[in-house]
Amino acid sequence: MSTTDLVGILVTTFILGSIYGLVAIGMTLIYGALRILDMSQGSMVMIGSFVGWGVLVVAGWNPFVAILLAFAATFLLGTFTQLVSVQPLMKRRHEIDFEMLTFITTFAVAIVFTNLALEIFGPQQRNVTFVISGGINVYHGVNLPYQSLAMAVVSIVLMAALGVFLARTRWGMAIRAVAQDLDAARLMGVPVGKLYPLTMGLASALAGIAGVFLGGLYFASPQAGDQPLLIALIVVIFGGLGSLPGTVYAAYAIGLIQATAEVLVGTTWALPILYAVILLVLIVRPQGLMGKPSEARL
Amino acid sequence: MSARQRLFPSMTPARWTVVAVLVVLVAAFPLANRDQYVLTVIVTALVLLVLNTSWNFVLGVAGVWNFGQLAIYALGGYGAGILMLHTPLPPWLAVLGGGVIAAVISVLLAFPTLRLYGIYTSLLTFAFAEIVQYVIINDGSGLTGGSFGFPTVPGLYSSLSPDASMRAYYWTVLGVVVASTVSLAAVDRSHLGIAIRAVRDAPAYTAARGINPLRYRVIAFAISGFLAGIAGGLYISFNQSISPSAMGLTPMSIDVTMLVIGGLGTVFGPLIGTALLTIVQTSLVDHPGIELTILGTFLLIVVVFVPGGLVGLIARTRNRVAAWAAEDEVAAAGDEASAGTGAAPDAAVAVGEAGAAAAQDTAGEDETAEMRRRSS
Repeated sequence: MSTTDLVGILVTTFILGSIYGLVAIGMTLIYGALRILDMSQGSMVMIGSFVGWGVLVVAGWNPFVAILLAFAATFLLGTFTQLVSVQPLMKRRHEIDFEMLTFITTFAVAIVFTNLALEIFGPQQRNVTFVISGGINVYHGVNLPYQSLAMAVVSIVLMAALGVFLARTRWGMAIRAVAQDLDAARLMGVPVGKLYPLTMGLASALAGIAGVFLGGLYFASPQAGDQPLLIALIVVIFGGLGSLPGTVYAAYAIGLIQATAEVLVGTTWALPILYAVILLVLIVRPQGLMGKPSEARL
Repeated sequence: MSARQRLFPSMTPARWTVVAVLVVLVAAFPLANRDQYVLTVIVTALVLLVLNTSWNFVLGVAGVWNFGQLAIYALGGYGAGILMLHTPLPPWLAVLGGGVIAAVISVLLAFPTLRLYGIYTSLLTFAFAEIVQYVIINDGSGLTGGSFGFPTVPGLYSSLSPDASMRAYYWTVLGVVVASTVSLAAVDRSHLGIAIRAVRDAPAYTAARGINPLRYRVIAFAISGFLAGIAGGLYISFNQSISPSAMGLTPMSIDVTMLVIGGLGTVFGPLIGTALLTIVQTSLVDHPGIELTILGTFLLIVVVFVPGGLVGLIARTRNRVAAWAAEDEVAAAGDEASAGTGAAPDAAVAVGEAGAAAAQDTAGEDETAEMRRRSS
C-alpha cells in the first residue's frame, strides 16, 4: 500500500465516519433512552436526501436552508413515527416484547415512507448538487473536496452539540434520566409523554441532515435510506447499543474498515466485510465496544 | 387414546372431516380452473406458505428472532439447483438435498444465537443473510449466476406438458403444505414442542428443570431450516431459476407481515396471513408502491391493535361468543330452575362446561399467539 493510498483511506475514513456517526448517533440516542431500535431512521435519511434535492436542485436555494428544512421535516416525521408506532404500545410495555414489537412497528413505518416516496417521486436516482466547489490537495493526488469537508465538520459540530444538549440542558438531562431509570424519572416529574416524541424527533432530524449530505455524496432515491440504515445498525452494534461515545468511535472504525476494504479488495466486498466483522463482534463480544454486558445468557 | 387424539385433542372427527373436505376441494381446483396465471399465483403462494410455516416455527414457536430465514430458503434453492445441474440425482432428490443443506446451515446458525437475545439475535441473523446474499451476487466461479440469477434448471416435471406440469406442481406443493402444517402442528403438541416453547417462555426455569436449551434450539433450527430449504427447492423447480432478489429486503418484509398479520406462533396464522396478503398483492400488482404502503400500514395496525394477529382475534371473538352463550344459557336455565323443572340445572351445568371447554380450547392458541417479552 502506497502512502497515497494510506492518506486516501484516512481522508475517506474522516468523511464517512463523521456522516455515519451522525446517522448512528440518533439510533443510539433512541435506543439508550427508549430501548427501541428505530428502523425508520433509514427512511429519515431518505427523506432528508429528497429535501436536499428539492431545496438545492428544484428551488436552487442555499445548503443551509436545505439543512434547516431537512431538520424541521424529519423532526416532525420522527415525532409522528413515535406517536403512531411506539406510543400506543407504551402502556402494554411490560406485558409484551417491547423491543421486538417496536422494531417491527418502526420497520412498518419505514416501509410506508419508502413506498410513499416511490409512489410520489418514482424509482429514479436524482443528483443532489451542492454549490460548494473546489477542494484541498492533501497529498499527491488525494483531494479533499470542500463540500465533503463541510459535511464532516457540520456532522462533528452536530454530534458535539448533541453531547452538550444531553449534558447541560434540562431536556437533555431529562433524556438521560429516562435512559437510566424510567420509573424514577417519572416520579421526579419528568414529562415522559412529551420527552419520547422529542427524543425520536431529534434523532430523526439528525438522520435527516445526514440524508442531505449523503444525497450530495450519492443520490436521492426512495432506496437511499437502505444502505445508511444497514451501516448505522453495524455502527450501533459495534459501538454497543446505547453508548454515545461508543457509537462515535465505532463510526470512525467502521469508516476505516470500509475505506481500507474499498482500496484493498474493491467496493463490492466492502459491505460483506463489514457484516463479517459485525458477525464476529456479536459472537465474540455481544455487547460491542462500549456497551454494557447484556444479561448473562444460559 | 390413539396417537391422533393425543396429538390433536381439539380435533374432533367432525373437524377432521371439514379439514379433509377443504383439502380435497383445494386439490380439485386446478381441474376446474386451468387459467395458467391464476394457478401460477396460487402455486407461488403455496411455496411461500411452506417458507412462512418454517419461519413461523422458529420465530413464533421457538421464539428466536431469526431474520436469516430467507437466506436459508435461498441456500436451499441454490443447493437444489446445483444438485440438479451438476449431479445425476433425480430432481426430487435434489429438492430434498437442498432441504438437508439448508438444515445443516440453519443448525450452524443456531449456535451463535444462543448467547444473544432479542434484537441482537435478529441483527446477527440479518448480518448472516446479508453476507449470504453478497457472496451469491459476487460469486466469481459462476456457480450461482450472480445477480442475473441461477442458470435454468429443468425442474421436477420437465417431461410433462406445461398444462400438466402446472397441475403436478400444484399438487406437489399442496401436498408439502399439508404435510408440513400437520407435522409441525403435531410437533407443536408433542413433548418436543412443549420443550421448545418452554425454552422460549422461561429459559432459566426450563434449564433448571433439566431441559438443555441448546439442544432444543438446534432441533428447532434444524426442522425449520429443512422446511425452508424444501421451500427453496420447490421455488427453483417451479420457476426454473432463482435469483438473489428472492431473499431481499422486500420479500422479507412481505413475509414478516404475513406472519404477524396471521398470528405468530399459531398453526393457522401463516395460512391466513399468506392467503390474505397474496390477495392484496395480486389485486395491486400494477402499483408496487401503493401495495407496500398498504402492507406497512396493515403491519403497524395489527401489531398495535390486534395482538396475536387474526388467529388471536378469531380466538378471542370465539371465546367471547362462547362466554355470552354460556351466560345466557345459565341465566335461562336459572329461570327455569326457579320455575321448578328438575332437569334444568343439569342442562345449565352441561352448557356451562361446553362453554368453558370451548374457551380452554382457544385459550391455547391465544396464549401461543402472544409475543412475549425477552422472547429469545
